[in-house]
Amino acid sequence: MTAAPNTARTAAAPGAPVPMPRGRRGTELLMLVFALAVVLFAYASVGLGLNGKLPSGLVVYGVAFAAIVGGAHLAVRWLAPWADPLLLPLAALLNGLGIVMIYRLQASGRGGNPGLQISTMSASSTTYQVLYSAAGVAAFVAVLAFIREPRVLQRYTYTLGAVGLVLLAIPTLLPSSMSVVNGAKVWIIIGGFSIQPGEFAKLALAVFFAGYLVAKRDVLALAGRRFLGIDLPRGRDLGPVLIAWAASLLILVFETDIGTSAIFFGMFVAMLYVATQRTSWLLIGIGLFLFGSYTASKLFGHVGERFTIWLHPFAGKNPAGPAYQLVQGLEGMGFGGVFGTGLGHGQPYLTPLAQSDFIISAFGEELGLTGLMALLLVFGLIVQRGLRAAVAVRDPFSKLLAGGLSFVVALQVFVIVGGVTGLIPLTGVTTPFLSQGGSSLIASWALIALLMRVSDTARRPAPQPIQDEGMTQVVRAG
Amino acid sequence: MNRALLRLSLACLAMFVLLLLNVNYVQAFEAGSLSTRPLNTRTFDQQFQYQRGAIEAGGVKVAESRLIKGTNEYQRYYPFGSAYAPVTGYDSIYGATGIEAAENKLLAGTDPRLAVHNLIGLLTGKPKLGATVYLTINPKAQQAAYQALKADGGHDAAAVAIDPSTGAILALASYPSFNPNAYTTLDGTKLDKIDLAYRKDPAQPLLNRAINAAYPPGSSFKVITSAAAFSTGKVANPQTTVPAPTNLALPGTTHVLINDGNEACGDGHPPIILAFTMSCNTAFGALGMKLTGPVLRAHADDFGFNNPNLTIPLDVTPSVFPHVTDPALTAYSAIGQFDDQVTPLQEAMMAAAIANNGTLMTPYLVQQVQAPDLTTIQNASPSALSHPVSPQVAGYIRQMMVSVTNNPAGTAYATANQQVAGVLIAGKTGTAQNGVNNTGLNDAVFTCFAPAYSPRIAVGVIVKGGGFGADAAAPIAVQIIRAYLGLK
Repeated sequence: MTAAPNTARTAAAPGAPVPMPRGRRGTELLMLVFALAVVLFAYASVGLGLNGKLPSGLVVYGVAFAAIVGGAHLAVRWLAPWADPLLLPLAALLNGLGIVMIYRLQASGRGGNPGLQISTMSASSTTYQVLYSAAGVAAFVAVLAFIREPRVLQRYTYTLGAVGLVLLAIPTLLPSSMSVVNGAKVWIIIGGFSIQPGEFAKLALAVFFAGYLVAKRDVLALAGRRFLGIDLPRGRDLGPVLIAWAASLLILVFETDIGTSAIFFGMFVAMLYVATQRTSWLLIGIGLFLFGSYTASKLFGHVGERFTIWLHPFAGKNPAGPAYQLVQGLEGMGFGGVFGTGLGHGQPYLTPLAQSDFIISAFGEELGLTGLMALLLVFGLIVQRGLRAAVAVRDPFSKLLAGGLSFVVALQVFVIVGGVTGLIPLTGVTTPFLSQGGSSLIASWALIALLMRVSDTARRPAPQPIQDEGMTQVVRAG
Repeated sequence: MNRALLRLSLACLAMFVLLLLNVNYVQAFEAGSLSTRPLNTRTFDQQFQYQRGAIEAGGVKVAESRLIKGTNEYQRYYPFGSAYAPVTGYDSIYGATGIEAAENKLLAGTDPRLAVHNLIGLLTGKPKLGATVYLTINPKAQQAAYQALKADGGHDAAAVAIDPSTGAILALASYPSFNPNAYTTLDGTKLDKIDLAYRKDPAQPLLNRAINAAYPPGSSFKVITSAAAFSTGKVANPQTTVPAPTNLALPGTTHVLINDGNEACGDGHPPIILAFTMSCNTAFGALGMKLTGPVLRAHADDFGFNNPNLTIPLDVTPSVFPHVTDPALTAYSAIGQFDDQVTPLQEAMMAAAIANNGTLMTPYLVQQVQAPDLTTIQNASPSALSHPVSPQVAGYIRQMMVSVTNNPAGTAYATANQQVAGVLIAGKTGTAQNGVNNTGLNDAVFTCFAPAYSPRIAVGVIVKGGGFGADAAAPIAVQIIRAYLGLK
């Protein structure tokens, strides 16, 4: 226990029977050690599976990763002592397993059968992913350090809105050589570095939506005509939702990225619904999205093809042609079955982009149905802890922000895992924490930091009044 | 806003539930069909990293997987090579044939019946192993069959031996054969070359002549014509006389049917047993016309002809008795000419049905399958395929077949009489004419069983272009019988 919670506890003790909420940093540390153990076992298992001996980097990577997440834990003790104790261990577990799978994919086949080298990976992929993890945790600490109260962000509502839109727009304005990787025009490539600005735009826009909707929610909640038992909004209030819809359609058309578009629009509609509590907004939003994607599938070849592949992955020439990636992923998962082949024993490198978009199918192949379900439950727990913070916090802006961010994690996991497993049409978005790549990892860590900041605010005990006057209202400083 | 947040969390829950249900569908429900899809190379590559089950015959391994030194991959090995090739087939990186293909799931360990064994193995950390397949093949009979075919001098030939009381296949050999060890390389380019060379070889070494090639049965079909004659009552017993002219005019044609060598058959009205012993074409041609084509076809079907569904568990090419109504063609069909086609297996089945008192047992190759922990997961249960003749009729035909090899006038007296060795063989020769105007080389056929009155083995042999059945095919059958019965 660091000094801060202890002082809070001793300050509350004299004469006050009010039970103090516990900081629960001990729980966090315990869970973190558990997460670290799982990651190290997985890493050792890859080495044993591939070459029959422990990987040479076990100590180096192990110590590096332990130092990174240990640092995050110390920062939380210092900066957000009341935050939810599960979010950090869950994020660390996913991040660690992501590194392990990237290491495994980079190493390719087993001893006697070298397998295919993945052309989109290099020998230093694992090292880079560890460095990105360090950068991610640095971003995590920075968010906790600079944003001591979530409401501070409300001041920058429109600034962040503009930043978000600019970040989203940059790749469309850049020439293809500086913005296209694997067919998706969602990158900024400068020198050797490539950044996916959409990952950061997601956070900026979540703040913007929260600030904007908190300010306008009374107007947006005004009822217009009643139709089929649903209060429709007034016509003039449709503006913002139409703008968000148009923006997401533009992303779809110019960045050929239906996944990102769905995630942004879904986040907006969900936050609009939470702010106004009007079911009609939800229905209008879903209706607009379905209409938009149907029209897009008819107008634009690449969107239409996604639908065809989804509906008939095994038909005709699809398995060897346009649906090759999806079918390889599905066959890998089918091959893994219930228990998986074991790390290092499968051939997940046969699926193109197994290290990024299709990392879920790589996990499915080697860890099986059981491993994949465990991973999905970890994601589900992160979402649940985030929503719990949203429910617990009093301030509407923080509530909306935490709700929106939690929902966007769920939606992103749904879009990519659903796409890879054939539940919905496949669209290339990253799997939070697991996929190879710095942008996604750093943004995901920042997102966890924001959720923990909200959770810290929600669970932080109010300063105790000196005299127990009962009715005195305590106003916390913003 | 908390009510809306609650609903939002329900939406998140719904998304995760959908994902969980879907991954269950993909990885549990659909897993089998996904992993065995033809384009899924994972299953294929994987099978060489585990020890595939062995194939054994009579306590001898005829196919096994051996670890390649310095790697963790296994390679298939066939200790007896081409002798067993028509039975085992091969297992290569591109596909399998023979028992390797028919029992692939059990040998590879992917059969659902092995799921529990595999799970226990997984939990106890034992390496995955395939099941062992035990064949009905008798190694002595099999080796004798292959050596005899090979020694015959390069003719296309095949032999099948069956235990008449169960249908268990004791020997199944084909010549020319191929070396299955050539197919076990893990190098795809090399395999392509080897496979192409075998496929282009005009001798067709990959063709399993024992079950997948059909030849005219010739006079051996007279077993079935006799069966039809006795069963329908057209001929009362072996001593009943039948008309057997030197020349049989065929109605509606200018052709006449003659006996071999244009010889007379007895006094022209011999008892049927004599006509059978000497294999008189005119007697059985006339009998066939009297019986009519459809009746002959019905009896042939009872003996196993025209059955496209027979598997042992290898797919068997159907033997053919045509839809024939024209009297002249019926006469030819009744003596195994015209469009009649039989596999060597069918020849063995004909003898086996007579040997087993008129009940034809379903032929099979797999006696037992054992899981890696030695528990039996499959055991052959002999079953009757059909009842072509009554025990009485079977007795009549047995009597006639004994006469073929033991009456000095019999067509196989010189070659298949084994009374010296102390065993009575019952058989029927066949010599099918080939080519235009029968100018081609004759196919030699022999169907037989032994010992005649307590049968333990039924054999069918066909030697393409071998000449007279008695000269070419009967000695091969005799060698198989001697090897199996352990005669000196």
